[in-house]
Amino acid sequence: MNAPSPKVLLIEDEKQIRRFVRVAVEEEGCQVSEAETMAQGLIDAGLRKPDLLILDLGLPDGNGIDLIRDLRGWSDVPILILSARSQENDKIDALDAGADDYLTKPFSVGELRARVRALLRRRSRSGEAAAPVVEFGAVAVDLSRRVVSRAGTEVHLTPIEYRLLATLLGHPGKVLTQRNLLREIWGPSYVESSHYLRVYVGHLRQKLEDDPTQPKYFLTETGVGYRFQP
Amino acid sequence: MIDEGNLSLLTVERFKPWQRVLLTATACSATTLLATPLLGHLDLANIVMLFLLTVLLIAVSLGRSAAVLAAVLSVLLFDIFFVPPRFSLAVSNIQYVVTFAVMLTTALIVGQLAAGLKQKALEAQVREQATQALYEVARQLAGTIALEQVIDIARQFIHVQLNADSAILLKDNHDAATGPASLAFRIEPHLAQVAQDSGQLVRDSEIAGSGYASHYLPLRASMRTRGVLAVAFPADSIDLPPANLALLEALASLIAIAVERLHYVDVAHATQLDMVSERLRSSLLSALSHDLRTPLTALVGLADSLFLIKPTLPAPALETAQAMHEQAARLAGLVGNLLDMARLNAGNVTLRREWQPLEEVIGASIKLLGSALEAHPIRVALPADLPLLEFDAVLIERVFCNLLENAAKYAPAGTNVEITANQLADCVEIRVCDHGPGFPAGNLSALFEMFARGHGDSGKPGTGLGLAICRAIVEAHGGEIHAENRDEGGACLRFTLPKGVPPVLEEEGA
Repeated sequence: MNAPSPKVLLIEDEKQIRRFVRVAVEEEGCQVSEAETMAQGLIDAGLRKPDLLILDLGLPDGNGIDLIRDLRGWSDVPILILSARSQENDKIDALDAGADDYLTKPFSVGELRARVRALLRRRSRSGEAAAPVVEFGAVAVDLSRRVVSRAGTEVHLTPIEYRLLATLLGHPGKVLTQRNLLREIWGPSYVESSHYLRVYVGHLRQKLEDDPTQPKYFLTETGVGYRFQP
Repeated sequence: MIDEGNLSLLTVERFKPWQRVLLTATACSATTLLATPLLGHLDLANIVMLFLLTVLLIAVSLGRSAAVLAAVLSVLLFDIFFVPPRFSLAVSNIQYVVTFAVMLTTALIVGQLAAGLKQKALEAQVREQATQALYEVARQLAGTIALEQVIDIARQFIHVQLNADSAILLKDNHDAATGPASLAFRIEPHLAQVAQDSGQLVRDSEIAGSGYASHYLPLRASMRTRGVLAVAFPADSIDLPPANLALLEALASLIAIAVERLHYVDVAHATQLDMVSERLRSSLLSALSHDLRTPLTALVGLADSLFLIKPTLPAPALETAQAMHEQAARLAGLVGNLLDMARLNAGNVTLRREWQPLEEVIGASIKLLGSALEAHPIRVALPADLPLLEFDAVLIERVFCNLLENAAKYAPAGTNVEITANQLADCVEIRVCDHGPGFPAGNLSALFEMFARGHGDSGKPGTGLGLAICRAIVEAHGGEIHAENRDEGGACLRFTLPKGVPPVLEEEGA
């Protein structure tokens, strides 16, 4: 039963932040290794094959986005970004480059542990075949039959609404940038037409959320994108 | 050199009329004197040739009218001194009348042709020199880097070429032509304004030479009229030949191009400066933000990590850890507010405006505040037909967060906070209202000043930046924000966002 404990690589230049992140992640039963610089981090990522990467975007020796792109060439390890709030565009670029989630500084240990848990869970599940039916709240989505029901009654979705729903469900817990979603669902020529995305997410909320003004499942990451929170 | 060229048109008139008459008469008399001793040796026909030669020379050197005079004089002198009977106008042989007639006609024609050719040659020379001078001035103007240089060059040119004074009146930002303060002549501002507005040459010969500038040429450039060139001629050369007017107009075009070029150099320079200072400011703020947040992040996280220590710390220690976490988080909020205010106050806030539904940003704000709103249920009631609005989601989220946070801070636990919106003619008005004690009586707009605290001694934590940030953000979006107390009690903040024209949403095909 004793699965090997997941390996987490932490790339962060600030010693005190590394200290408490290590404590928090170890509490989740992980083995933590640390790197202080981008260069060291990239080497460690190759050597240790971690199950999760925690990356500070404000490293002194280079652009974290390059590291993500580089890494994504040969690895699909989940990446959690730590960033300061003034780096909205960096966050988007990092997510577009392939990062999975982000935390804005300062963050609490509780939030950090929740994100780490979610990312590791998704990783361990990624080997399994995707379940044909996804359920959240009173909603059940049968991906094989393309049927959506809420509290037992079928809900009619337009083709675009369904595509949007399926895309969001395909990445539970992951932040999907506007750009990403627009390209995926409407095509490359729509990447600047963010109002389409917003209106259609609104439709999904109207049809599937209990209180569309205070959504619980289809969450807005303001200025960045959306996240499906099962 | 140039001086001579410029005046060469006038060489014909180098002598005053009476001088020319005198010279002509002298020349004809001299020819008579010269020819008299030859009378016995030469045929009269050859003496006629000598007179014709004289007329030709006079025509070339003294011009058209002198040539006519010389022609008539020559015929008379020839008759009196050479044709028998000499020393009388009478003619013995009638055939000499033909000689006179032919002589007069030939002299007149030769004179006219010679004088005409001479004048043409002179004019061509003047034109060439003017072209040369214009070319030279264009070259100089192309190298200018300041308006003063343009003005100097133009002034110099007009002084040398036309012997006139000039001034350039530039149109300043207030659309009035303004000129240099001290001038040797006076300017009629009304005429300058007419030239500026009409884009046409304005001249008033009445006031020429009276110490006023008489010619006002608009400086027409490709984008607009950049100003007026005023020229004042001295009292003795009031009549301006058309060639000189053309010269002035060509000069005005050159000046206009130079002024416009300098204007765009300035614009480009200012834009570059703006960009540099904008980049500097934003990199300064993000460095500051990073440096302030890093220790705060460590503080919050380290306080939290005390809870994870095994064996578990005693309760008082954990309470202290919790308090440290809260204080550090508050400090982080404060730093965030200060940095936001600095960014908003620095001017030129770059808004990332996108068209979006209002309800989404409200939902995101509520979600972001999370447990801070636990004790205050939020009721959102938006009209179903609310259009998409164009705003910066991150900033408007900040407005809602600040307003909701305030409401939760001051209203008693368990009371609702309401968010409503309604459409006005050209904007949407949004209200965030609570059931708290309301704002203290007094000047409600002062609440939006920086570091203003509505409940000064209420003991609630806060910096008085929240509403100031809200106002800065709303105003950057072209809206307004106001505070008021509801009749039934409770505080209400309402702000507007302009409606604009939302983009068309293509209907989804089946």
